[in-house]
Amino acid sequence: MADGYTGKVLRVDLTNEKIATEPLNREWAKRFIGGKGLGARYLFEELKPGVDPLSPDNILMIWTGPLVGTMVPLTSRYAVVTKSPQTGTFLDSYAGGYFGPELKYSGFDGVIIKGKASKPVYLWINDGKAEIRDAKNLWGKDNFKTEELIRKETGQKLARVASTGPAGEKLSLIAGVTSDLTRNAGRGGGGAVFGSKNLKAVACRGTLGVDVPNIDELVKMSKEMFLKDVVENPDHAGSITDGTPIIVNMSQDAAILPTRDWSSGTFEGSEGINSDAIKTRVLVRRKACMGCGIACGSWSKVRKGKFKGASTEGPEYETIGLSGSNCGIDNIEAVVKFSEECDKLGLDTMSAGSVVAFAMDLYERKILTKKDTGGLDLKFGNEDAFCKMPEIMAKRQHIGDILADGTKRAAKKIGKGSERFLVECKGSEYPAYDPRGSIGMALAYATSDRGADHNRAWPVAQDAYGSGDPWNPEGKAAICVEDNTRTSVKWSFIFCDFYAVNFKNMARYYTAVTGVQADEDYLRSIGKRVWNLTRAFNAREGFTRKDDNLPERMEKEPLPTGKTAGKAVRRADFEKMLSEYYSLWKWDDQGRPTKKGLEDVGLSDIAKKLPYLK
Amino acid sequence: MSKGLKVEKEKCIGCQQCMLICSATHAGKFNPSESRINVEDKYPEPAEYKINYCIQCDEHPCVDACPAEAIVLNEGLGIYVVDKEKCTACGACVEACPYEGCWLDPAGTYSIKCDLCGGAPQCIEICPRNVIKR
Repeated sequence: MADGYTGKVLRVDLTNEKIATEPLNREWAKRFIGGKGLGARYLFEELKPGVDPLSPDNILMIWTGPLVGTMVPLTSRYAVVTKSPQTGTFLDSYAGGYFGPELKYSGFDGVIIKGKASKPVYLWINDGKAEIRDAKNLWGKDNFKTEELIRKETGQKLARVASTGPAGEKLSLIAGVTSDLTRNAGRGGGGAVFGSKNLKAVACRGTLGVDVPNIDELVKMSKEMFLKDVVENPDHAGSITDGTPIIVNMSQDAAILPTRDWSSGTFEGSEGINSDAIKTRVLVRRKACMGCGIACGSWSKVRKGKFKGASTEGPEYETIGLSGSNCGIDNIEAVVKFSEECDKLGLDTMSAGSVVAFAMDLYERKILTKKDTGGLDLKFGNEDAFCKMPEIMAKRQHIGDILADGTKRAAKKIGKGSERFLVECKGSEYPAYDPRGSIGMALAYATSDRGADHNRAWPVAQDAYGSGDPWNPEGKAAICVEDNTRTSVKWSFIFCDFYAVNFKNMARYYTAVTGVQADEDYLRSIGKRVWNLTRAFNAREGFTRKDDNLPERMEKEPLPTGKTAGKAVRRADFEKMLSEYYSLWKWDDQGRPTKKGLEDVGLSDIAKKLPYLK
Repeated sequence: MSKGLKVEKEKCIGCQQCMLICSATHAGKFNPSESRINVEDKYPEPAEYKINYCIQCDEHPCVDACPAEAIVLNEGLGIYVVDKEKCTACGACVEACPYEGCWLDPAGTYSIKCDLCGGAPQCIEICPRNVIKR
């Protein structure tokens, strides 16, 4: 069938060293598309509730979507789908680059990996065939070296590799999956799931291509859209000239830039880490993922000084906010170094930056001492200590052992009242938009299906960065519901966040690639279905309203400076938004999908499998 | 003056849309391995893209090396193109080309190299940074 899909799923049983190819579940593909949606459907079906995410019983999936590998712009992504060891929720984490298309060209829409290998292995996929290979020589190696060695060993210099670094091997709960050196499915601890299965990497090389029903039509449409809707789209102007670092100044102006472990929303050193700092001091060239005309990536390299030679793609805004200003670091070169270390070692820069900031905070408060830090003077702004932290965490040395599992678990181990300083939801550290100057983000973080996250809803665009009132809770639930619906569709295709593609155009692409007749309403119904499904997954795992929480500091600790001076999130406002949000989604007062609600979005089969509905 | 594509690889962003449109045009599917232009990302060092394609050089050693006389002059364009029917996929042209400008298709059935899409190169039309010109 020429419909964008390869029609095949690779099934791997690491315990019994068995590999099988099976047909894609076409009915699910039609109802859930790919990526997030399709991954969620397979995971809901196959994963037993209550499974320890780091046990062999957890299931690790990699998914693409029907548009991936075609000329449809900004669809080069793949999804790592599993139960998150960091949050215990459904996890879908994405990376761009070239791996996703390569997996399609290798003959598979998705890979489903179960069990645990008896010794370190990697999975090699090549033109419809796959094998489990010994990874003895790769274990302990960083992600850069791992890619290099796999290319050498397979003799395929164009092989694409999604691997976990030493951090994932050591089961760090903030370890991600890295591909193309610098592209990370970072959030949620996917790397630790790799490590728990003794799986170093999934590598692929393919020459099979992707077929569509009418390639001339699709080429014509993609050509027109690539130029008009991508390259010349005014919504993409900032992404083209600057990429995400453009947000540093926006956040500084709005006073929501996390600074010194969330103690301020403005950073006096922001000019040392903003987009201009990147462009004038470290930028080498702009870099795109496959099929992208934006090229938001800044390939950066430190030219002189103590971090000379360090290079990374980025750093991106989240990295800058959470590991730069939030650690009191005002030197972009140090952030480049930190980012490179995280890429090599396999740490999510967001969580890694957050947990270092947290440790610095505890050190300044004398809850941690030099005895705990192995002699490191972990003061805010200490670049040298900061740049040593990724390795210490990835190798689980002294304090790194405690920090490697993120802030929530670190606080539990450290005790001494440190829980009071946590800024996270469900164990996932907050992204770099302080809700005390964008109240909608408090709701977005609380209700994201994979723990605190900015890629499920982004109301900050309309208030702190737009013309809306950042402190008025009115209307924020509706924004989150709309964003959830849209992103659920985007992550199912899988479009990049930076393509401001509307429903109408998504539907055009979808129809052109798959032949399925679709319009905006059709896709919206899929978005609602997918968002309800991931919520149902979490409800089945026991998540309720109490888990959709607001960190105490956001309520009790007003910000000190700029536009957010004196501002905090009122608990009553938060609870009001949350109730409104549940009601808009037609969920119960515990935030769980109802039988009727699920039936309305075509999930009656899911409703039957939820114990709380019996 | 060669009649082939001109590429300013310093401006390339690595999107590979040229490869996708080339394979769609020549092979009827999206398959970078069947593209007549190849963009390879070289990171972390030297942080650049290696771009290979037939520059339509005046010396055309590929033509001289071909035992099947399968690389023939397209008189309209003034360039040499591969006659798929005649090509035996022996690889002599691949060996002979000093520019790594041609290679075998993934199935190893014939040699592929840029034919300027018969006069309207699609890669030029799709490139978002005007990297490719004639």
